[in-house]
Amino acid sequence: MEAIRNTLDFSDFPKTDLGVALAVLVFLFCFPLFPHSAFAMATMIQFFIFSLYGMGWNTIGGYGGQVDLGKAQYVGIGAYTTMVCLLRWDIPFWVSMPVGACLSICWSFIIGYPLFKLKGHYFAIATIATSLVLKDLFEVWKFVGAARGLGILPYKYHPPDYWRLIFKEDIYYYYIIFAFFIVGLLYMNWFRKSRLGYQLRSIKDNEEVARSLGINVHWAKIKTYAIATAFVSIVGSFHAVYIKNIEPEDTMSLDISILIALMAMLGGAGSLWGPVIGAGVLIPLKSYLKEWLGASAGLLGIDLIIYGLIIMIISAFEPRGLWGIVEKYRRRRRK
Amino acid sequence: MDLLFASIVSGVLIGMVLALVALGLTIIFGVMDIVNFAHGEFLMVGMYTGLLTAQATGMDPLFTLPVAAAVGFALGIICYAGFIKFLLRGPMISQLLGTFGLMLVLRNLALLFFGSEDRALHHGLLVGKSFDVGMGIILSATKLATAVLAVLSFGAVWLLMNRTRIGKALTATALNRQGARYMGIPTERMNMLAWGIGGATVTIAGALIVNFWSVTPYVGLIFTMIAFTVVALGGFGSVPGAFFAGLVVGLIMEIPGFWDFIQLFFGIDWMADVPMISLKYTWIYVSYFVIMLISPRGLFGWKQ
Repeated sequence: MEAIRNTLDFSDFPKTDLGVALAVLVFLFCFPLFPHSAFAMATMIQFFIFSLYGMGWNTIGGYGGQVDLGKAQYVGIGAYTTMVCLLRWDIPFWVSMPVGACLSICWSFIIGYPLFKLKGHYFAIATIATSLVLKDLFEVWKFVGAARGLGILPYKYHPPDYWRLIFKEDIYYYYIIFAFFIVGLLYMNWFRKSRLGYQLRSIKDNEEVARSLGINVHWAKIKTYAIATAFVSIVGSFHAVYIKNIEPEDTMSLDISILIALMAMLGGAGSLWGPVIGAGVLIPLKSYLKEWLGASAGLLGIDLIIYGLIIMIISAFEPRGLWGIVEKYRRRRRK
Repeated sequence: MDLLFASIVSGVLIGMVLALVALGLTIIFGVMDIVNFAHGEFLMVGMYTGLLTAQATGMDPLFTLPVAAAVGFALGIICYAGFIKFLLRGPMISQLLGTFGLMLVLRNLALLFFGSEDRALHHGLLVGKSFDVGMGIILSATKLATAVLAVLSFGAVWLLMNRTRIGKALTATALNRQGARYMGIPTERMNMLAWGIGGATVTIAGALIVNFWSVTPYVGLIFTMIAFTVVALGGFGSVPGAFFAGLVVGLIMEIPGFWDFIQLFFGIDWMADVPMISLKYTWIYVSYFVIMLISPRGLFGWKQ
């Protein structure tokens, strides 16, 4: 009961925040009912996927302050588990998704135990290294299709297939990931007020003090890492059935890991709305820049140049992200 | 046996170049505690500089080093003054992501200007020549010359760091920024200089590597990871550490060669089925991980 009340309790936010959040949710719910292009739909689904990844990253990276740049490996584990289960043994999505999450959590414990002995830069680079090792292994592993990856042939199934999540229209995927999004948001709301959430924030502020207060720092980090992993892995499973064609290069590359961290950091790491804001700004920006500048104008790479410049400007001048700007503005008004 | 010697020699030769690649990263990290994700992209800039200068002027690619050094020095200073200076005030995560943004920009600028195709050098005094030393070792002339020049450049930087006033000021800044400022060392200018030297060494390495490695805009990432591994093994901030670690990492890169040697020498059949050559770089990531766990300070490191 206590937990449910905590989950639904948003009363520590100012009223304007909640109003805006509600308006955005209503908009997101109604979006498919309005006329829209297929491209806009795909962008919105990407937005949900990446804001969920960002929420997962936010637990360890935002609240805990451990810069993890290896989240793509769990996208890969989740996506490949679902794909292999579906193709080899015809196991439906709703069974393979928790299996994938369990596998990811096991892997996160195996590498998390040694990883969290490192700090700062060393930790960040080590997470990259583990992620790249896994990617290299998947690229030579014949069972999972090596570098060519795996693909679902939709005509073999009978869409709409609610068990295997194979649909013809994107609108089904939209509402499923929307439900995931709401659950994720509620979970994060519970998490930030949970015991572990407070422990993490004290670890972020000062690890020595946290230890002297009797917090098992190492174990708290590993637990949070597992939570973040589960988030990313579950959404990775969804990504696999949505995209229908996965290969190591676009599920597990370093760019994905960095993009995940970037969502949370650009929006504001360590705040509930941060990843959502970050994904809401970055994903449309990225896909429309690519559409307008990269594909149409024929200028190779110019979209990523602009994108990189935005990252540089944000990280140099507003390291606390867009949410940091809002908070600064509020503080000034209060004075 | 021949395969073993050939692998060792090739590992040592490439290791000398890798040491030069990592030198810039370790200097920058030592002086201002910032990890530069764009390091591999600096190397790519050096590779393109070497290649294009050689093609435009008809010079031998081995003599384009001064041009590459000048470009790298300028690039490092511009990056520091225009961007990194502001980044240093922020937390660590924004430093990591900021240099990642720099990497994206440099990589895609190269893509925009040079296109995505592989480019390689086909002409030059030494390209394609090799000589047999005996015991099955065939030295390619470019690799040998590259390794020698890399060692010379490394020695020059070592002399600069240890035997000149500027080098001592740099070391002092690295050891204790506050103290160095009290002694009248302009630490801000020292940061800029560190970026200049870092950029120059890595572009020299790039101009050397282009002699035997084809260049694309995407070549940077693997070299960034190699440089991280070398620096981690040698110890963040240590110049002699970078040299020995470079040799070790060069040998690690030859693990597929050793694998073939063991497989042929002892006649182990299952080993032939493992696609070791496509796992060439995996060993670098694995060794980074293991090194960090065993000794986070590396071999010669003094920064924790």
